[in-house]
Amino acid sequence: MFHLQILLMAFRGLKQNLVRSLLATLGVIIGVGAVVSAVSILEGAQRNILDRFESLGADQVLIFNGSDRKSHRQVQTSSLLPKDSDLIAEENKDIIVAAAPQYSGAGQVKFYEKNAFATILGATESYAPMYQYKVAQGRFLTREDVRGNAMVAVLGYKVANEIFGALPSVGKTVKINGKSFILIGVMEEKGAYGFIELDSQVIIPLSTAMGRMFGQRYLNMLVVQCTSAARVPACIERVKKTLRASHQISAGDDDDFIVFTQDQFKQQLGQVALIFGVVLYSIAGISIIVGAIGIMNIMLVSVTERTREIGVRIAVGARRFDILKQFLAEASIISMFGGALGIVFGWAISNLLSELTQVLETYTPPIIIALALLMAIMVGIVSGIYPAIRASRLDPVQALRYE
Amino acid sequence: MIEAAQLRKEYHMGDSVVHALAGVDLRIQPGEFVSITGASGSGKSTLMHILGCLDRPTSGIVRVAGETVSALNDKQLARIRNQHIGFVFQTFNLINRTTAFDNVLVPLVYTRRAFAKKAARDALERVGLGKRSKHRPSEMSGGECQRVAIARAIVNKPRLILADEPTGNLDTRTGEQIMQIFHELHADGITILVVTHEMDVAVQAQRMIHMKDGNIVEDTAVDDHRREQILTQAHDVHTRAFRQKAAAKAILPAAARVPEVGGWPTSFGGGGGDDRGHDAERESSSPPGPKDLGYPAEVDPVRE
Ligand SMILES: Nc1ncnc2c1ncn2[C@@H]1O[C@H](COP(=O)(O)OP(=O)(O)OP(=O)(O)O)[C@@H](O)[C@H]1O
Ligand SMILES: [Mg+2]
Repeated sequence: MFHLQILLMAFRGLKQNLVRSLLATLGVIIGVGAVVSAVSILEGAQRNILDRFESLGADQVLIFNGSDRKSHRQVQTSSLLPKDSDLIAEENKDIIVAAAPQYSGAGQVKFYEKNAFATILGATESYAPMYQYKVAQGRFLTREDVRGNAMVAVLGYKVANEIFGALPSVGKTVKINGKSFILIGVMEEKGAYGFIELDSQVIIPLSTAMGRMFGQRYLNMLVVQCTSAARVPACIERVKKTLRASHQISAGDDDDFIVFTQDQFKQQLGQVALIFGVVLYSIAGISIIVGAIGIMNIMLVSVTERTREIGVRIAVGARRFDILKQFLAEASIISMFGGALGIVFGWAISNLLSELTQVLETYTPPIIIALALLMAIMVGIVSGIYPAIRASRLDPVQALRYE
Repeated sequence: MIEAAQLRKEYHMGDSVVHALAGVDLRIQPGEFVSITGASGSGKSTLMHILGCLDRPTSGIVRVAGETVSALNDKQLARIRNQHIGFVFQTFNLINRTTAFDNVLVPLVYTRRAFAKKAARDALERVGLGKRSKHRPSEMSGGECQRVAIARAIVNKPRLILADEPTGNLDTRTGEQIMQIFHELHADGITILVVTHEMDVAVQAQRMIHMKDGNIVEDTAVDDHRREQILTQAHDVHTRAFRQKAAAKAILPAAARVPEVGGWPTSFGGGGGDDRGHDAERESSSPPGPKDLGYPAEVDPVRE
């Protein structure tokens, strides 16, 4: 329908007014940019974050400090004690396989002049089995290490690599936040667990971490392994019962802890993604409408400016349909141009976001690029149709007289 | 080539009706070179537009290049304009943002013909602008622009060229060059219709048509003898008009004033349609005033 000559002609016409065309297409640039970044972020979240939570395991329950409901009463913000973990495991043996209490803080690991920053995780012997996290060299923490406040440490894969490289490390003494620890093992490479980068951790006995290392009373988190995913709800009930009793919460008062499951995480994440999506898509929608109006406006100006040209074209044999096509082609080219810039813009924005937040990983599916261009062309056609019809309906005699 | 019968074109302006064409009958044979003159508003351009299939008459019949125009739809008219008719305008009407070559190419865009580029190059050669094809209108003189416009008009090898005051924006010498091109095209067998206000241009045709108030009031074949006669007369009239204007401004003594003015239409009224001739005679023999000078009044003597 559009033959090359007319497209070329339209293109030459636009080159002449590059800045003006760019301004007119700003809305399309922003709109397409918003769509592309929205899709990139949401798609990235889908692929990445949700994947990570998959690793949480459907049969696990996470317990945090804090209050779930909005309460007028001041709730103690920290409440989870190491003994809660033992209580939960002991009182519910029928339904709970293990409980892994955790406390983590930041730290620096030093071996002579080599050093690395790492997450110092205080954990118990139940930690590694719960995540099917295996040692590559040496051994993991034992019950005795934890009971005895042992000054021993197990390095995550990355930390070990950073400090020792290929050299043997088990048995060496390192300084963690200035205190000497004996290395008893190195973990296998495992990657991420939820938001936690396992390979960048240094694991020491919980008692040591909460005592000599950080001097804390309360846990960060408590992970409970239920016997099966199906029993997670029952599991939660039991955990709540045990904890309420342990924390002496009277009936009618709110919990002073929060229970999370993989499902809830996913739902929450889904909600965040949804809000994000709605906001971005609204921006996109509004921008594209603005863009369409901008293009329509610029095309109307162009039609008026080129009234005589239109008259001449008709005089030398252009059919009305040819004129229509020419202006539609121009509008689409402007819009497509804006769309292309928008794609680059959106891609840059989403990459910048993932760079800045570190958490957000983005992914731009190739199909979205094609779709965005298609959308831009459609915007061009829709917004160009009225000006193009106006152009094609001009009376050539009047058009040739036009000053 | 052209047959028009009882052509009328009316414009309704509120209550009043403007008769841009008030029943024009016209026949032009293939290969003729015709000039059309007439006061401003006499309907020359309107006639050209209708003959060029750009406009439709209010009533009347037009046949152009063997086709009855009123029977054709817009698409067919576009084809006729594209294939058989070349327009040349007073203001060139080139597309300023593109080159001479691209301007000449425009009609071919709608022809979808093979070898379009060669045709455009040939047309530019034909008007002597083969070397300027990459220039934009802003980089060319008026005469060159008009030559580009002519190249555009002939690129599809039309049988008819309609030129509405093609020399109107050019000086005499440049206008002469443009007319030379028309003569060459005419020699190739193309039918040419030129609207003009300049007597020098008008007399170059084989046939002169004079219009007044939407009617053809004179239609004369021109041979060398007549051409001579007309030019002399026009010159006389110019001189008189000049004297008269001058006298009005009291440059010349009153004695030098010319009381009577005879315009071109009256001077050789024998040509076409006696009635119209008489009409014209009556009008131009009415008491003289600057407005009643007839044809020559439109010619600015200072310009020559
Ligand atoms: N669109 C229009 N609406 C109303 N009147 C019009 C329109 N177009 C032309 N006319 C009138 O028709 C008459 C003939 O106009 P036309 O342009 O044919 O004259 P012309 O002989 O070409 O004049 P000029 O020598 O100035 O070019 C004029 O009186 C003009 O005012
Ligand atoms: Mg005119």
